[in-house]
Amino acid sequence: MTQKQANNVTLAIVFVAITGVMSIFLPDKFLTVINFQSITSQFPEYGLMALGIMLALTTGGIDLSLVSITSISGVTAALVLVQHVNWALPPVVVILIAILVALGVSVVAGLINGLLITVANVPAIIATLGTNGLFLGIAIVMTGGSGISGFPEEFLVIGNGLVLGIPVPFIIFLVVAALLGLLQNRTRLGFEMRMLGASPVVSQFSSVNNRLVLIKTHVLTALLAGIAAIIIISRVNSVRPGYGSGYLLITVLIAILGGTDPAGGFSTTLGTVIAIVLLQVLTSGLNILAFTPFFRKFIWGLLLLGVMVIHYYRRRYFQKRIIQLARDQTALSKAPHPQ
Amino acid sequence: MNWIKGLFRHNETYLGLVIIIFGGIITIVNPAFISLDNLFSLAKSSSGTAILAVGFLLVLLTGDIDLSFPAAAISAQYIAVNTLMAINSNSLLLAFAVAVGIGLVFGAVNAFFITTFKLPALIVTLGTSNVFHGALLEFVGTKAVNTGQLPDAFKAFGRVDILSLTRPDGSEYGLSLFIGVVAIVLLVTWFVLRFTLMGRGIYAMGGDREAARRAGFNTTHIQYFIYMYVGLLAGIMGIMHISLIRYGNPNYIVDTELLRVIAAVVLGGAVITGGKGTLTGVILGVTMIVILEKNLVLLGLSSYWQQFFVGLIIVVGVAITHIQAMLRSHQKVVIVRSQ
Repeated sequence: MTQKQANNVTLAIVFVAITGVMSIFLPDKFLTVINFQSITSQFPEYGLMALGIMLALTTGGIDLSLVSITSISGVTAALVLVQHVNWALPPVVVILIAILVALGVSVVAGLINGLLITVANVPAIIATLGTNGLFLGIAIVMTGGSGISGFPEEFLVIGNGLVLGIPVPFIIFLVVAALLGLLQNRTRLGFEMRMLGASPVVSQFSSVNNRLVLIKTHVLTALLAGIAAIIIISRVNSVRPGYGSGYLLITVLIAILGGTDPAGGFSTTLGTVIAIVLLQVLTSGLNILAFTPFFRKFIWGLLLLGVMVIHYYRRRYFQKRIIQLARDQTALSKAPHPQ
Repeated sequence: MNWIKGLFRHNETYLGLVIIIFGGIITIVNPAFISLDNLFSLAKSSSGTAILAVGFLLVLLTGDIDLSFPAAAISAQYIAVNTLMAINSNSLLLAFAVAVGIGLVFGAVNAFFITTFKLPALIVTLGTSNVFHGALLEFVGTKAVNTGQLPDAFKAFGRVDILSLTRPDGSEYGLSLFIGVVAIVLLVTWFVLRFTLMGRGIYAMGGDREAARRAGFNTTHIQYFIYMYVGLLAGIMGIMHISLIRYGNPNYIVDTELLRVIAAVVLGGAVITGGKGTLTGVILGVTMIVILEKNLVLLGLSSYWQQFFVGLIIVVGVAITHIQAMLRSHQKVVIVRSQ
């Protein structure tokens, strides 16, 4: 079993185990249609951000501005949406414009990150830390520090609607995750991202345009945050800059839990998706057991550290096995051939 | 004229000029700005940020990043104050001992995870930051400490002046003891960086970690020293912070200080990839940030712009620093070629 499969199989087993335990001990609360619907409408927003962080981590960078990108795209979308009363347009058109504007803003934000990292040569950590403040600042200035609400009725379907009993955010999430999986496994860009993350020098000499790949990655990451922003403002029916500031830890935690190598070069969409669902199941479990949000913060921090330590030991195990295999090979080739 | 040329090769010179120009503009708008009274109070209120920035500089010099120092500072402060209130003590020394002890332990925890498991500092400190703060809120408490409850020792510490002057109307003002604390911290750090093997090791590690290791520096010891030093400074800052505002809230510092401190250090010319950065730069950076924040309103901008400007400063600051570094390395290549 390769390292890649091993991680996903472990995750799947843990997921089934946790779900099983919760279903047995809290059957009347956990194993209900309503709980399923609430779970699947909650995680898409930070799930999409986690997929974004995963992409950035794959190239060996990180995007700390993700939450602020959702703020700034959410605010611009909201500013368009509240105009629906003034404009003589059908609501659907206004909603479409708002969505396009939000996605456009997120793409521009991602482009700024990408250009800072490639053209100005600033390390991703500090570039996105700076733009994190900048984007949030712009969002705050645009709203004047207060929230915006009062969206057209039809817009709320995106965050709260059900199709055949399945929440719309969940459907959006599944479609995006499937596309991302295809991108990672079936396209040149996906391969180049991993290559760049594993070793920028090698990818440079293998005629990969490192800068272009980095820019594309950060634009994609920001785009995922933009989609998350639309789901968030529709679900909450208002927008407040700074919403979801706690999501940064959770998204990094999910990406690492899903097997992404924080040093770059390895990640799988499937692993990240399993990690997202796993974390959401844990969250609702802790909610049902009435733990405080502070305790959850504490647990997530511990979980992040624990997972990293487990990864360390697993990596060492695989390295030892490779060395052992290599030794066996040389021992075989040196052994005298039976005459 | 060579020394002038040399002067202009430093980031600090430009930053100093910007501060002087900016200070000049503010003085024209509001002549009270340049008064000793105002400058002393500015210095007092920025001393906490300066101390945290010194610690952050050391981490940055080794080429790593620490996100957990605000959580360490607030934990140290809140636990120290609660300890004093619980045993009905009024000893500032005990408060400092508790706070510094907690800071050192937190630093050691960070260093343990980073060195033992070879994990990226960014992600470890993101985890520990949440563990520390989550644990503080869950297990110690969430209640604010108001001025009436606060032991007198803190209030007295916040009022002590090392230099007293009298205003024309007869009331007194002075240079706070806090400036003395900052001066001692700067002096000790400067000595360590400049004259000890540890300090040379810190710069060497930032230049090239592997080279430093092979040159015989014990990088594990250096990292333990760095993170525990940051913890120690965070503990000191925690006590100063509550003595200044005379009100303790376990949610303070965490959200506000991180971005300001990073902005100040980066603005001072420290490079995140390590090995470059000076204490002079840090002090100038802190000065710039504080003057900007306190005077935006004066220049006719609402306080909503504060976040925006701090973000903008980081982005522009790091972009300039890194473009300069890039140009310099290009120049070196050209020189080598022409020879």
